[in-house]
Amino acid sequence: MNRRSFLRFLGWISGSTVMTACGKRDSRPKLTSYLLPPEEGIVPGEARYLPTTCTECPAGCGGLAKLREGRPVKLEGIPGHPVSDGGLCVRGQSSLYRLYHPERLRSPMVRNGGKHQRMTWEKAFSLAAEALKESRERGHRNFFLSGRTTGTLSALIDTFCGRLGILRLPEFEVYAHSAVKEANGLLFGKRDVPHYRIEEADFLLTVGADILETHVTPVAYTRKISRAKSRGDFLWFHVEPHFSLTGANADRRFAVAPGGERYLLAFLLREVVEKRASKSRPPREFMDVFPPSPAEEVSRSAGIPVEALREIGDRLVAAKRPLVIVGGVSAAHQGGLEAAVSAALMQWATGAIPERVDFARSENYRSVGTFRDVEELSARMGRGEAGVVFLLRTNPVFSLPQRFAFRENLKKAKLSVGMGDFLDETLREADLVLPLSHSLESWGDAEPRRGVVSLLQPMLPPLHDTLSDGDALLGLLRKASGEGPAGSYKNHLFEAWGKRLGDSGRSKLLEQGYVEATPPGKAIPPNWKKAASVLKDTGPAGEVAKPVLVLASSLRTFDGRSRSLPLLSEIPDPLTTITYGPWISVTPDMAKRSGLEDGDEVTIASSDWKVVLPVKVQPYLPEGVFVVHRDALESPPVRMQARTGEPVEYIEGVSFAKTGRQAALPILSGSFSQQGRGIIPDPAHLDESRRHKRWTLYPEHEHKDYRWGMAIDLDLCNGCSACVAACHVENNVPAAGKADHLKGREMSWLRIEPFYEKGEVEFLPMLCQHCDNAPCETVCPVFAAYHNPEGLNVQVYARCVGTRYCSNNCPYKVRRFNWRQHGWPEPQRLMLNPDVNAREVGVMEKCTFCIQRIRAAKDKAKDESRKVRDGEFTTACAQSCPTGALVFGNLLDAESRVSRLARSGRAYRVFESIGTEPSIHYLRGKHPGRKT
Amino acid sequence: MTDPEKYARADEDILKAMEKPGRAYLLGLGVTASLAVGGGLLWAYQIRNGLGVAGYTHPVNWAVYITNFVFWVGIAHSGTLISAVLYLFHARYRTSFNRPAEAMTVFALMVAGLFPLIHLGRSWVFYYLIPYPTERQLWVNFRSPLIWDVFAVGTYFTVSAVFFYVGMIPDLAIARRRREGIRKTIYAVLSLGWRGTGRQWRHYNMLYLFLASFATPLVASVHSVVSWDFAMSLLPGWHTTIFAPYFVAGAIFSGTAMVITLVVPMRKTFNLYRYITDDHFESIAKILLLTSLIVSYAYVIEFGLAWYSGNIFETELFRYRALGHYKVFFWIMVACNSIIPLTLFAMRLRRNIPYLLIVSLLVNVGMWLERFVIIVSSLSRDYDPYAWNALIYRPTYVEVGITLGAFGMFFMLYLLFVKTLPLLSISEIKEHL
Repeated sequence: MNRRSFLRFLGWISGSTVMTACGKRDSRPKLTSYLLPPEEGIVPGEARYLPTTCTECPAGCGGLAKLREGRPVKLEGIPGHPVSDGGLCVRGQSSLYRLYHPERLRSPMVRNGGKHQRMTWEKAFSLAAEALKESRERGHRNFFLSGRTTGTLSALIDTFCGRLGILRLPEFEVYAHSAVKEANGLLFGKRDVPHYRIEEADFLLTVGADILETHVTPVAYTRKISRAKSRGDFLWFHVEPHFSLTGANADRRFAVAPGGERYLLAFLLREVVEKRASKSRPPREFMDVFPPSPAEEVSRSAGIPVEALREIGDRLVAAKRPLVIVGGVSAAHQGGLEAAVSAALMQWATGAIPERVDFARSENYRSVGTFRDVEELSARMGRGEAGVVFLLRTNPVFSLPQRFAFRENLKKAKLSVGMGDFLDETLREADLVLPLSHSLESWGDAEPRRGVVSLLQPMLPPLHDTLSDGDALLGLLRKASGEGPAGSYKNHLFEAWGKRLGDSGRSKLLEQGYVEATPPGKAIPPNWKKAASVLKDTGPAGEVAKPVLVLASSLRTFDGRSRSLPLLSEIPDPLTTITYGPWISVTPDMAKRSGLEDGDEVTIASSDWKVVLPVKVQPYLPEGVFVVHRDALESPPVRMQARTGEPVEYIEGVSFAKTGRQAALPILSGSFSQQGRGIIPDPAHLDESRRHKRWTLYPEHEHKDYRWGMAIDLDLCNGCSACVAACHVENNVPAAGKADHLKGREMSWLRIEPFYEKGEVEFLPMLCQHCDNAPCETVCPVFAAYHNPEGLNVQVYARCVGTRYCSNNCPYKVRRFNWRQHGWPEPQRLMLNPDVNAREVGVMEKCTFCIQRIRAAKDKAKDESRKVRDGEFTTACAQSCPTGALVFGNLLDAESRVSRLARSGRAYRVFESIGTEPSIHYLRGKHPGRKT
Repeated sequence: MTDPEKYARADEDILKAMEKPGRAYLLGLGVTASLAVGGGLLWAYQIRNGLGVAGYTHPVNWAVYITNFVFWVGIAHSGTLISAVLYLFHARYRTSFNRPAEAMTVFALMVAGLFPLIHLGRSWVFYYLIPYPTERQLWVNFRSPLIWDVFAVGTYFTVSAVFFYVGMIPDLAIARRRREGIRKTIYAVLSLGWRGTGRQWRHYNMLYLFLASFATPLVASVHSVVSWDFAMSLLPGWHTTIFAPYFVAGAIFSGTAMVITLVVPMRKTFNLYRYITDDHFESIAKILLLTSLIVSYAYVIEFGLAWYSGNIFETELFRYRALGHYKVFFWIMVACNSIIPLTLFAMRLRRNIPYLLIVSLLVNVGMWLERFVIIVSSLSRDYDPYAWNALIYRPTYVEVGITLGAFGMFFMLYLLFVKTLPLLSISEIKEHL
């Protein structure tokens, strides 16, 4: 090589080196930590927890939002909160998806022709103010309709309506519990849903009330049931016309004919009154009017076998502290009022008021109206009386029957102002759309139960051009009336809290997120005259025409309001394991007769309405009943109870026909039977499996300080799937979508397996078992799956090449492969947990026992020169579990809760005979001392 | 005819195949090459979009790609068997087949080696599977059968390629003698200065014998290791001690069938009736028959053990295999691998070359399906019934295209081989003339 060619080469080499360094500047975003935090309270890399209140449903559970770098990345329950006591349900866990939803309303909009046009808040307020003025001049009535509001916001709405001359209508909720409220109003003069203290009862009879799914305050009820079970003498019977998750979890479940509840409850009332030794007896006048009916006759009209009737009756009579709860579909029919009245009288006769049925702390449903109120509103709008109609966080167009013509009548209003967060069915019809902030972006409070004030506070500035409910109303008030309280809604709130709670109460509220007053309960005698007038004609009445389509509430979407949250479609319905619905549940007999299989499409029709849905065969569903979740039907043709205004959640005498088509219905379970494999073993199985002792060629793993493990109590687990949602959010588990689910490619690290056996359903949470002899570890060619010194099976994403052998070799099939690159649409990316990797295409992932939480706890312990204490932290799933079925901890610590449970006689491990030595101990069988 | 005349005619006959290609040849080459390129493009598409473009239905995490891998490794087996084992046994009929069989081995391994890469979730980091020194001290897991596989297949490919090449050196020298121009130069380089002296022959024979003895154990070991990819797992239907001999027999079975599939048309095209006779085919057919019996025995044993053990997981799996979603494939497999080859007991059929060709094609189909059934049906039904596959795995166009691309690549390489290298072992044939 001569000098010239050497220089030429040198030029080439340095030139190409420089060239490769060129590129788009932002092609690789840099992660730089703050030198100076932009705001007070933001410490880079450290989580901050602020209390809030969940607003996904009216229950108002307390939540702790975990903030990282100034944005919420996870919601958890607040331990000790008077409503939820640390639990949070599947909807609550998913509600972060509402905050970061890509389809959220981003600015005020006005309808121009068929389209919505963006505008500023200022203009929107002027538009509404002018319309109000014009409407006043022309003598139109203005209306305000909202979903259930409580606390200061409710008071502000009153001020708003009062000052502007707007008629505030009773609030609209599908699940307004009108029949129960009506009954309590008649009997005790309290139109309320009382607070049920289930934990005090030794016998619980629920009739139709889906207390684990949507009924009033499901997390609270779930917690209470766990507490009652831990006492040892608790027994729970459930009666329902269909088959629900609540029914699946009761100790005994009885099917009642749709509409037959009133006969059953009247019979039980008579049994209780006649046989139970009690001081409280109804007067003779009442007993004379209230005719006795023989068990056989009741059995016929209620569709319950005589033995079952007697069994329930005997239990009610014998129990020391019985409690009866009627609600849900069993109150939502023509005889709902009778059923509710009988139940309320039973509460009185068994002495449940006020110990177990507390009206002083009633669930705050008094402001909620009935279907009758919205029917009236619709009619008045239809007559052209309406000037400006405000609709705040409510979706009557979706929920009301077509018959009410709400959609059409809304158009006749001079101006309809829709306030909400999504362009839902109702807001789509509104002339003016005002986008509201998420509860995590706003100041506010809630009073879900009388005496409980729960805090809402902003965790981050609004992501879009939105205002909080209060600020929107205040702004509008100021614009329209030219006066009104100065300052922001925050000032208004602080003032209101100061007035109500005093300074110390306010500080307490801001600090712990809730305050609770304890008003004393007192016994109230029923109004016997009214009771008699309701119950006097409980003789056999017209039967409900079969087959009946029952509109059930949905664990995942409540009354349909949570439909738009992608995570809730991703998590399977626990009874059917269907993810992306809708579907209609059909009894096995009917399916057999009609030659139907899962996924076949059928047309369900009543006289003037029809719908086409795919079929899911649902074991244990009573004959003559179809079930569809309410979220599946837009404007279902429900009737209304004349006396209570409660909708009838049955559609009677439906016809059904096969369409001959098959719909793609993702059913995640491959088998609803255990196939005799003892996954949830009999006690006999238990002893046998303990005798297996495998020898191994490899040395035992040595654990120094910690060996993490989990105990899962199957008696407590009710399949509510809150853990699944918590895991998704905590660990950045993507939503795979329907197309992938149809190929079995779900991504969830944790699943609830339902097994139908011997008339019962049992739920088994299945997650990585963190085996001591893990089959996945030995087959990984690159040590991407390895055993860490604390007993975890760790997956190193960066090392994984994607052979998928680990998944093949996993007997529990809990590993998830990234079949494609999963995306996070903006701004959903903001909710990714920065402590957890977002996995790339082609790698395997699985449960890590929330290793990021373990690390954080260990770091903290190390700072304080100690070991991690038991219960100091827990995994996301265990944290969220409303039943307390999941217990996480250190198995090396003999005193930890988990190791005590693992050593208890109830513990077993799944597929013990394979010799994998899992770290997850399932607890089988009833609690010690519990009767069956 | 004198010996030198015979030798000259053998040179002429065999090297004639290497003359200017005809239209049919070019067409064949075009078709196979476009299949191979198409497969490559689909692979690129799959790398870009993730493995989701294939039809995997979890828990069926392995499917057509691994089926193809085992199938092609199996095909590769008869090459070594015919060249090395039969050489050691002094089986004379081997000389007619050994070169095509060895070429087939090398090409099949080239194709087979691609499939574990195609099937990886992240093919771009395939080198993690190779033990190499890194500053982070990352190492491979020698407990994993997949690592054994890397070594087994790697060794086998190296040895087969060397064996193929060494056996060809004297023939390359003949080609050098008979060709002109650039080709002469190429053959001259490739023949490594072979002059056919006594000393060279002595060394050559020693090396050949050594390589044959070295390759023979590989026949048993390589496919045993491949079978352990499955047998070392916990999965019912895979976790079986019989897998090693079963897979070795299956590999020889399918490889032999592939030799017949390739040599029958080749003999006809290049008019090699003088060198490859029906007697030779009959001997190969006997190997086919023997291995078919061994494979069928293994099928019976698998079901028998599942039944006899009473193991709930095994019983269900084998019920599912014969009667479940993939039963059609299972029964085609039984027909092709166990029933149809039984007809070869009849000497008339054994010597009927068109019939033999049909049987060999069916055995190829049957053996491909065997691997498919073992992999897919076992994965569909393992321990946890919740995870059972309610859906039927169906390969997508990507998998089908890549599979066809693999066949395209194999036949393309084979077609290139017949035009560029001596397709029979001339020097050995001369020994037996």
